[in-house]
Amino acid sequence: MSAIKINRLCHTYATKNKTVTAVDDVTLDIGDNEFFTLLGPSGCGKTTTLRCIAGLEQPTSGSIELGGVVVVSDRVVVPTHRRDIGMVFQDYAVWPHMSVFDNVAFPLRIGRKLRRAEIAERVEQALELVNMSQYIDRRATQLSGGQQQRLSLARALVRQPKVLLLDEPLSNLDAKLREQMRSELRLIQQRIGITAVFVTHDQVEALSLSTRIAVMSSGRVVQEGTPREIYLEPNSEFVANFVGATSFVAGRVLISSPVTLTVQTELGTLNCRPHPDVPTGASAIVALRPESLVVTDSPTQSDNCFAGEVELSLFVGDGVDYRIKVGDQSLRARGSARAQFDAGDTVYVNAATDDCVVLLADPDGAKAVMDATDVESDR
Amino acid sequence: MTDLSTRPPQAPPAQPARVRGRRWRRPNVQGVINVITVLVLMYFVIGPILMLLLASFQDTSAGVTVRPPFPWSLTNFTGVLGDARTYQVLGTTLLFAAACLFFSFVVSLVFAWLIERTDLPARGLIYVLVIAPTGMPGIISAIAWGLLLNPTNGYLNVALRSAFGLQGHGPLNAYSLPAMILVQGLALVPLTFLLITASLRNMSASLEDAARTSGAAPWTILRKVSLPLLRPVLIGAGIYQFVTVIEAVDIPLVLGLPGKVTVFSTEVYRVTHPAFGLPDYGASSTYGILLLALAVAPLLIYNRTVRNAQDYATVTGKAFRPRRQRLGRWRWVAFGASLLYAAVSFILPLLVLLYASLQPYLGPISWASLRQLTLAGYHKTISSGLFGSSLEHTLIIGLAASLAAMVLSVSLSWIIVRSKSRFAWMADTLAFIPHAIPGVVIALAVMLIYLMLPVPLYGTVWIIVVAMATQYISLATRLTTGGIAQIQQGLEEAARASGARPSQVWRHVLLPLLRPVLLNGFLLVFLASIKNLTLPLMLQSSDNVVISTLIWNRWDYGDVTGAAVLSVLLTAVTVTAALLLRRLSGSEEI
Repeated sequence: MSAIKINRLCHTYATKNKTVTAVDDVTLDIGDNEFFTLLGPSGCGKTTTLRCIAGLEQPTSGSIELGGVVVVSDRVVVPTHRRDIGMVFQDYAVWPHMSVFDNVAFPLRIGRKLRRAEIAERVEQALELVNMSQYIDRRATQLSGGQQQRLSLARALVRQPKVLLLDEPLSNLDAKLREQMRSELRLIQQRIGITAVFVTHDQVEALSLSTRIAVMSSGRVVQEGTPREIYLEPNSEFVANFVGATSFVAGRVLISSPVTLTVQTELGTLNCRPHPDVPTGASAIVALRPESLVVTDSPTQSDNCFAGEVELSLFVGDGVDYRIKVGDQSLRARGSARAQFDAGDTVYVNAATDDCVVLLADPDGAKAVMDATDVESDR
Repeated sequence: MTDLSTRPPQAPPAQPARVRGRRWRRPNVQGVINVITVLVLMYFVIGPILMLLLASFQDTSAGVTVRPPFPWSLTNFTGVLGDARTYQVLGTTLLFAAACLFFSFVVSLVFAWLIERTDLPARGLIYVLVIAPTGMPGIISAIAWGLLLNPTNGYLNVALRSAFGLQGHGPLNAYSLPAMILVQGLALVPLTFLLITASLRNMSASLEDAARTSGAAPWTILRKVSLPLLRPVLIGAGIYQFVTVIEAVDIPLVLGLPGKVTVFSTEVYRVTHPAFGLPDYGASSTYGILLLALAVAPLLIYNRTVRNAQDYATVTGKAFRPRRQRLGRWRWVAFGASLLYAAVSFILPLLVLLYASLQPYLGPISWASLRQLTLAGYHKTISSGLFGSSLEHTLIIGLAASLAAMVLSVSLSWIIVRSKSRFAWMADTLAFIPHAIPGVVIALAVMLIYLMLPVPLYGTVWIIVVAMATQYISLATRLTTGGIAQIQQGLEEAARASGARPSQVWRHVLLPLLRPVLLNGFLLVFLASIKNLTLPLMLQSSDNVVISTLIWNRWDYGDVTGAAVLSVLLTAVTVTAALLLRRLSGSEEI
């Protein structure tokens, strides 16, 4: 059974000069106990979609069901406070005038009448769940960022809602803490069995936490699938580039059959993973992940092996990042930290057939990639 | 962990059909509040302006009417615009305003620079002394200076005459334009200074340091960097204070009328409250409209300046410590001059009032008179029934006006800041307009409305409450808008996502977080209300006398001791309130 059903959701708003479409015809079906991630650059509509689920924004059209109840449609608008949700905000939104206990107790106190003892018990449970029991009497303002975010999570869970909405909850934390919270978030979600919708622009978070991911761009869902599918079989340049670093090589399809796919590129002839939608003779783009390329000092017997020259060689601790020039084409590659090649060295780049993913050259692709690169440099 | 980890199956969801039906018919509470707020405000703000227009375009020789047939006529405009006196009053008003502004801005800039950018000794003390007169109502400083400088027996004049062996009247004259400019100018200094000094403090010192490292001398930096960066603040403060000067009747009434120096505000008062005969409401409305135009014109210019405000973005979030200019041997000269200023602007008027309040009648200061100090004036004033009732009225008006202004402005600010309602721009404009309507004009219009409408407010304290609330909505809204904008929207949304109804969001999250702002605004409006003479005087009857109008009546009647006693009492209250306010609004470090 699906916990959340979003059907043809659109959200537009007017600015001074023009109408902006933040969410453009999004349809999603999120199952019970899923950890579903909306991934995309800023301004792609992921947060607006989440806020529509919460009822903090009213969609222009489309409908949303939570647990089989229509909460938004042309005819119904259930206000936020009547929806069975818990929400964690990017800036924590911890009420500074209340203690830790009061913050967590708030959703219980304003709802149906509970006995004081029961409220106290459930607040304690929620705080224990996020490892915050020892801070129960603190003022909310005395907490660090990470603690505030835990508190915010406890507050969202204390009502035992059907759906947990997470709006970039980790982005304000520093790198170490983010990693720690990431695993805890997943553990808690699995332990209590709740449907979570998670919004992020961070591909590592998305890949590591999610059961499924919807990659969004300009208000639309570009690709929906498991983390593995999204990473290994991106369906567009945008997804390939946004989820992980990727080198793109343009070419023309020589042979396309259910068992082989050969593309003539500037590198030479590339044997790629077969793709049913790619006709022979079409122009195509081949996506190569840096970590799937193997850099060697001598030619190998593999299908795709090209000689090149190291342009740039950066030691980054757990490996070496290379930029390798093959013909006129620059490829990014990840090498082992043990053996480092230096700039100017002649090397051989090897790509396994399955790691060469063919994307149909789409006219929007170039623009989407540029947008995505902008976002990455923003971060 | 038991309860959360092994959750019981969810209760069956509410019937969708039922939810649908009920949801759609139920009116949105917040929406209703928004509409009511905007409607109340339109009545408060647009009503007076319409009333003025209505009255000014009627032939009012037989009184004003709000029912057809309207005696439409341009008599008032032809009469007022064809009268040479109008232009004379206009000239006097402009000269008066310009001179006051010049005086107060020069003084304020000097003090702001001394306190924020130099090594002046005892800067904290000077700061407090410069802003101390905020608590002093205009009518009271006018009376104090009247006592000091009146040509026949002003204390200062008597002293000067005996010192230089002069005969007759003078040499100084309180009842003249220069004296009005001095007193009004001094009265403008505290707020002007506060505005300038706050912005100078927030101006990143690195901007000045950059000029210094580019080889600019201190004077050049001031002229080429600091002052130009302050320009939006200076223009904004200038326009605000311009309205302050032209709207008030207190100082022009006390110091201008005896010497036949008339400005627009006193002209409106004179025409509305003639010594004999019937008031000419048509003419006074016309004057009111001219005054309104005079106040609005600079605001339009200001809005154009503010549009480019980001060119002046000088506030940085980082901590910085501006370098202080060493004054060298001028240090103590500047300190002495500052103390002298404080003595003249605040301490001298206070002492004079105190002295006059302890004298049985007005006479020159001498050893003999010092020996006949008496509290008789206090006994007499406090025991009079009029004092009791006017004190009560003052408190009622202060409390009711500040309560009304705060309630309106909080819900107004929420509309402006948070709602994506199509009323938002309307609310913003409505909240801004009263700022541009001179007080004397608001009073006139409110008076006309309740003369016409069958609502029994005319002559009561409540008509003054309505006028005060209208006048101070802009001030209160500015505070509350800032307050709400500072509350992260997420805090409200988190409450809604936790299941709080709109009323619960207000009660548990917004109002508690706004409490300091609300308290501050309440006190600010309360203080302004009890200091205000213009509105109660314009709207006064025998049943709604307040302390400020009582002071004027005593003074006008010639009871100097009574006026002085009341002045001392009121000043004690207002200065205390002002200091309390400064302490509360600690965020401004004032």
